[in-house]
Amino acid sequence: MNWPQLLVTVLTLGSIFGVVTLSLNLQYARGGMINFGIVAYFAVGAYTYAIFTQPPPQGLDQYKFGFGWPWWTAVIVAGLAALVFAAVTGWPTLRLRGEYLALTTFAFAEVFHSLLLNERRIGNGTVGLARVERPFGDWGPIEEKYVFAGAAALLLVATLLVFRRLLVSPYGRALDAIRDDETAALAAGKPAQKMRRQVFLISAVPVGFAGAVYAMFTTLAQPSLFTAEVTFIVWIALVLGGERSVYGVVLGTAGLVFFEEIVRAWPFETVRSAQIAASVEHVVTGLVFIAVLRYQPFQAAATRLKVSK
Amino acid sequence: MTLPGGAAALNGALLEARHISKRFSGLQAVGGSDGLSFGVDRGAFVGLIGPNGAGKSTTFDLMSGVQTSDTGSVLFDGHDITRSSPDTIAEQGIGRTFQTPRAFESLTVLQNVVAGATSPGESLRWAFGRSWRNHETEIVEAAQAILRRVGLHERAAARVSDLSGGELRMLEVARQLVRDPTVLLLDEPTAGVHPGLQERLAALLQDLHSGGMTLVVVEHNLHFLLALADHILVLADGALLAQGPPADIRADPAVISAYLGGGDAA
Repeated sequence: MNWPQLLVTVLTLGSIFGVVTLSLNLQYARGGMINFGIVAYFAVGAYTYAIFTQPPPQGLDQYKFGFGWPWWTAVIVAGLAALVFAAVTGWPTLRLRGEYLALTTFAFAEVFHSLLLNERRIGNGTVGLARVERPFGDWGPIEEKYVFAGAAALLLVATLLVFRRLLVSPYGRALDAIRDDETAALAAGKPAQKMRRQVFLISAVPVGFAGAVYAMFTTLAQPSLFTAEVTFIVWIALVLGGERSVYGVVLGTAGLVFFEEIVRAWPFETVRSAQIAASVEHVVTGLVFIAVLRYQPFQAAATRLKVSK
Repeated sequence: MTLPGGAAALNGALLEARHISKRFSGLQAVGGSDGLSFGVDRGAFVGLIGPNGAGKSTTFDLMSGVQTSDTGSVLFDGHDITRSSPDTIAEQGIGRTFQTPRAFESLTVLQNVVAGATSPGESLRWAFGRSWRNHETEIVEAAQAILRRVGLHERAAARVSDLSGGELRMLEVARQLVRDPTVLLLDEPTAGVHPGLQERLAALLQDLHSGGMTLVVVEHNLHFLLALADHILVLADGALLAQGPPADIRADPAVISAYLGGGDAA
């Protein structure tokens, strides 16, 4: 097994999905909002990045927009696009609570996914946008993949620090109060609706950035990459890591990505053994989840990390 | 205290209800035939009593923005707050507690009281900075002082789930006091509170009253309330049945008949 390659992939994907899980953590564990459509904000970031960096359409291209902007401007626009998408989707949905919000956000994501599949002028339909360039080349002696992993990790750390800063402030305490008892929080002068909307918007921005980095990493923005499965993986990572700790969330995501990647990268000797592995993968995944939920190693590690700090 | 009977008669009160009413599923919870009207003067200690289902807590909900009145208006210091949100009303100076005590479960007792205060760090603009820390020290000190005042200072680090029902009620009062409200609406503050804590609560309310805070208290414990309040409102079926000083209420035949069932109030 190529361990360095595996670890670089885990660091890159773990960081990208870690950003999404952190945002979900802010929305759910602190804001009390169940978002089952988080993949849509991720896709908005990826598609925005692709559209703003790709060249104008030519030949058989069916998409209409390609602006050829520099990568860093497209990353900023990707974050802003996710923010705008959150504002548009949050306006009608955030009055809803609990499972109603969950279902509505899920429906929004499915509508958006269907739009990407069927509206070829935006993203080339099912084919997707495949002319996404990676902006980072080799950095001196450092190979591109390491530069890329570093950039993804930097985004994760920046998101972690910004969210942590927010959550340790009185703003975070007010969010906890609203989540615990909204009526009592209102009676204590906390503008629950306004703060929830703010959290929804703020948390969408890094998801947009993560979508852009994901598009760079895969060099592709395609509907099949942004299905409900992404939402569920991120939710599972959140549950595995423990919703109350930002460090646990990061560790949970890294653990989940590591497990998926090691199964994918395992060098099977025969086709038969690969088939068996594929068939038992979900069984093993289930058993690992049960073990993780029972013993909560990521939460324990996050608690130790918090104590040691 | 101002007499009911029309808006003109209510002018000058700090907190006024003018013909307010509320129906739930077609049933009149508050209001009677002409809506409920009363006023509370600045610095008054008003008791709001009535049998179960009289509409006392709903009246509190209408005054604090938790519910919106179907008719009429609620005025605070001359401003119409009928359709204001509960957080806006709280920020304007009306604090309230609830019939069933409410607390922030994930926070400690001290954090619960601190969370009651409004910190500059609760706005996004300030949250990312550091200047809110200066205010935070003041808020924590104020919260500790209030916990001492309500007798919960030794439980400051405790989880809310470890508090007794009575302590939870005192915590709710503390969380409002840290906001230094102009008017404090207390919904059954002695329910589930042991006699020792009730004495402390009585002393605290007297202290707040003498300090100029306007108090409106819903209470079933008439011994407690009639000894403290300087004016009593009696509700029955959502309408104002009687009002006046405690001595008059004790002797009011309509009150005795409708509410006290012929017994002695005191």
